[in-house]
Amino acid sequence: MTATQHSHDVHQYPAHFEPPHGSTWKLLFGPGLVRGAWMAAVGFVLGMLLVLVLRAWWSWDPAWNTEVILVVGGMVFAPLGFLAGIGSFDYWLYYISGRPTRPEDHSGHGAHSWKDYFRVNTDHKVIGIQYLVTTFVFFTVGGLMAMFFRAELAQPGLQFVDSQTFNGLVSVHATLMIFLFIIPAFAGLANFAVPLMLGAPDMAFPRLNALSFWLLPIAGIMFIASFLAPGGAFGAGWTGYAPLAEGQPLGQTFFNMGVQWAGASSIMTALNFLVTIITMRAPGMTFWRMPLLVWANFTTSLLVVIATPFIAGSQFFVMFDRIMHTSFFTPEGGGYVLGYQHIFWFYSHPAVYIMMLPGFGIVSEVISSMSRKPIFGYRLMALSLLGILVLGFSVWAHHMFVAGMADWLRVPMMITTLLIAIPTGIKVFSWVATLWRGRIHLTTPMLFALGFVTMFVIGGLSGIYLGSVPIDIAASDTYFIVAHIHYVLFGGSVFTIFAGVYYWFPKMTGRMYDERLGKWHFWLTFVSFNATFFPMHYIGLRGMPRRVFDYESAFGDMNFVISIASFVLGASFIVFVYNIVTSWVRGPIADANPWRARTLEWQVSSPPPIFNFDEIPQVVGGPYEYGVPGARHAVMNPAKEAQEVHA
Amino acid sequence: MRKGIVQLVAIGIVLGVLVTLVAVLFQWLPTSASKEFDRIQDIYWFATVISIVIFSLVGAVVVYSVWKWRVPLDDDLDGPPIHGHTGLEIAWTAVPAILVIALGIVSAVVLSENGQASSNALQVKAIGQQFAWRFEYPDYGDFQTGELVLPVDQQAQFTMEAVDVIHSFWVPNFGQKMDAVPGIETTILVTPDRTGAFAVVCTELCGLGHATMRAKARVVTQAEFDAWIAEQKA
Repeated sequence: MTATQHSHDVHQYPAHFEPPHGSTWKLLFGPGLVRGAWMAAVGFVLGMLLVLVLRAWWSWDPAWNTEVILVVGGMVFAPLGFLAGIGSFDYWLYYISGRPTRPEDHSGHGAHSWKDYFRVNTDHKVIGIQYLVTTFVFFTVGGLMAMFFRAELAQPGLQFVDSQTFNGLVSVHATLMIFLFIIPAFAGLANFAVPLMLGAPDMAFPRLNALSFWLLPIAGIMFIASFLAPGGAFGAGWTGYAPLAEGQPLGQTFFNMGVQWAGASSIMTALNFLVTIITMRAPGMTFWRMPLLVWANFTTSLLVVIATPFIAGSQFFVMFDRIMHTSFFTPEGGGYVLGYQHIFWFYSHPAVYIMMLPGFGIVSEVISSMSRKPIFGYRLMALSLLGILVLGFSVWAHHMFVAGMADWLRVPMMITTLLIAIPTGIKVFSWVATLWRGRIHLTTPMLFALGFVTMFVIGGLSGIYLGSVPIDIAASDTYFIVAHIHYVLFGGSVFTIFAGVYYWFPKMTGRMYDERLGKWHFWLTFVSFNATFFPMHYIGLRGMPRRVFDYESAFGDMNFVISIASFVLGASFIVFVYNIVTSWVRGPIADANPWRARTLEWQVSSPPPIFNFDEIPQVVGGPYEYGVPGARHAVMNPAKEAQEVHA
Repeated sequence: MRKGIVQLVAIGIVLGVLVTLVAVLFQWLPTSASKEFDRIQDIYWFATVISIVIFSLVGAVVVYSVWKWRVPLDDDLDGPPIHGHTGLEIAWTAVPAILVIALGIVSAVVLSENGQASSNALQVKAIGQQFAWRFEYPDYGDFQTGELVLPVDQQAQFTMEAVDVIHSFWVPNFGQKMDAVPGIETTILVTPDRTGAFAVVCTELCGLGHATMRAKARVVTQAEFDAWIAEQKA
C-alpha cells in the first residue's frame, strides 16, 4: 500500500502516553478490530438481555422473540459495540467523562503501513482510500450476484435457484450497488479530493469523518448477512414496498436496519462536506473559484441532508409495522399503502441525483484538464447543479404514475420531470463544447468521461420517454426501466467513478496506473455494457416485466445474449482490479501533476503531505484557466514557484 | 473551418441514419390492440425523433472533436481559452425547454384522452391476489373468471382491487397499466380495437410467485362476448 514518506516522528506517542500494559493487554483492550469484535459480542448480549428482561417483566409470552432480539441486539447494540471497540468514540468519551483527553498528536493522521487502513484514522486521504477499497469490495459482491441471477435468467424457467433466492439476489444486488457502492464511492473520491481542492488541511470534523466510514461496513455486512436469515434474504426489491415488505420473512429487517446505518453514514459525511466547503476554503477561494467537483459535492450534500431522513423514516415505519404492530402502511389498521411510496421516493428520487451529481463534478474536472481548455460556461455549470437540486425535490411522484395516486398529481410531476432535462442538457452540451478545439488527451479517465457523456445521453433520453406519463404507463415496471437505470447508474455513475479513480490514482498512491490496461478495461466495459443493457429496452417494451425469474419463451434468445454480455462485463472488471493492484504495488512513480491540471490537489506532492499543504495556498483565480497567458489558480509559495511538471 | 463544419454535419447525418435504422428496423413496440396504445405510440415516435436528433448531435461533436483534436499524450500545449458563449448557452437552454414542454403538452393531451370514460363503458373488476388474477363483470352477474374476455371496439373500465399486496395489471398490447393497491380502488380504461389473444402480466413484485402471475386475455366480437357471458352465467 502507500508508504507516506513524511514525518516519521509525529505518529510516535509522547513517552508519557506509552500504555502501561503489555502487548496482549493492548491487543485486547486497545482500540482496534479485536476489541471491536468482542465488544460487538458484548453489545449483542446486552441487547438480547434487555429485550428478554423487559418482555419477561411485562409477562409477554414468549419472552424470546427472534426478530426483536435481532433488531435490538444484532442491529443496534452489536454495531454500537463494534464502533466503540474500534475506538470511534474514544476521544468523545474521554471528553464527556472529564478524563484528560489525549492532546491532538496527529497520531491518527496518515498511513504508515497497510495496517493503518484497518484502524480508525482521521486523515481524509486515508479515509478516502478506505471508502474506495471498501466500496469496490461491495461492488464485486453485488456484481457477482448480478451474474448469478443473469445465469438464472439465461433461459426461461428456474434452473439454479428458487424464487426466494432469486428475489433476494435481485434485491441485495441493487441495495449493495446503491448504498454500498455508488453513493459511498463518490463520498470516498470526494473525501480524498475536496479538502485538497479547497486548500484545507483536512475535513472540518475528522473524527466524525472516520465514524461515517466505519458505519458503512456495518450496513454492507447486514445486507449480505440477510442471506443467512431463516427464510432467506430480503426479497421485496431495493424499493421494499409495503405491504409486501411487511409480510416478508426475517431477512427484510436486515434491509430496514442496514439502510439506517448507511443513511447515517451519508448524512454525517454530507454535514462534514457542507461545513468543510463553507468554512475551510483557502484565502481567495470564493464560491465562484471553486472547482466543479466541489460545487457538485456541495449540492449533493444538501440533497443528502434534506432527503435521507425520509428513507430512514420509511424503513423505520415498515419495521415498526413488522415488530411493533403499528399500522403505518397496513390498510386493515387504517394505514395508507401509498404513503410508503411517497415517503420512499421523496428520498429515492433525490438519491438519483445524489448518485449522479458527484459524477458530473468528476467529469467536469477530467474533461477540462484533458482537453486543455477552461470548462465551457463555468457559472452555468454550477448553477445548473443548483437547478437540479431544487427541481429534484419536485419530481418524486413520477415513480408512481401507475401506483394509483391522486390523478391530478401526474401532469405537474411530469412537467417538472421533463424540465430537469434542461439543466442536465446544459451540462452535457457544455462538456461537449469544452472538447471543441481542445487539445484532447485520450487517457483512460478521459475515455471513461467521454463514455459517460454518450451513455448518459442515452439514459437521459430514455428518461424523457419515462417522464411522459402515457409512455410511462406502458413502460413502467418493465425491463425498459432496468435498461434506463443501468444507463444512468452504470453508463452514468459507474463510468464517472472509474474516471475518477484513474484520474486521482497517481495522486492517491504516488504511482501511475497502466494506460494500456486502462484502455482495455474501458473498451471491454463500454462494449459489453451496451450489449448487456441496450437490448433490455427492447424486451421491456415488448412485454417482459422486471424482477421475474421466469418469462415468456419468446424472450429467451435475447435474454441469453444479455446474460453472455453481462459475464463479459463482469470479466472486464478483472482487468481494472489487476491494473489497480499491480500499479499500486509496483507501478512507475507518478509526478506531482501528471495531468498538468490547475486545481490545488495537483500542486502538492503525490501522495500529498500529511497535512496537505506545508503553507496555506493563496487562491488568485479560477480553477480551469487553461490557455490563458499568465493565469494562476493559486499561489502556493512565492519563494519556490509551483513547478510545471511535464508528463 | 467550413470544411470542418461539413465533416461534422456528415458525421451527424451518418450517426442519425444509423440510430434511425435501429429505431425502425426493430419492432420495439408490441402490436397495438387498443385505441389508448395507438395514441401512446404517437408520443413514443415524437420522443424518438427528439432522441435521434439529440443523440446524433452530441455523438457527432464528441466523435468529431476526438478525431480532429486528439493530440499525443506528451503534447504540452493548451487549447484556446474559450470560457463560454452566451448565445449558445441561451440556445441550448431554450431549445430543449421548448422540446420538453411540447412533449409535455402532447403527453398531457393523450393522458386526458386516454382517461375519458364513456357512460356505457363495460365495467370489469380485476382482483389481484398472490399469485393469480380474477375478473368480475358486475353488469352481468356475480361470476368470477380467471380469463379476461373483452368485446372489440367497446371501452372497458377496469376497477382494480388487491387482496394482499400490491399487484399491477398490464396487457402489453393494450399499453395500459395500473397498480392494484390494498385499501384503495384504482381504475384504468382500455378500448380494444383488435381481436386476438393477449397476456395479462403482473408487473409489481408481489412475492415468490410474481413471475408466474399471468392470465390470458381474449378480445372477441360482441356476439362472441355475449355468448361467452351466457356460458359463464349458466
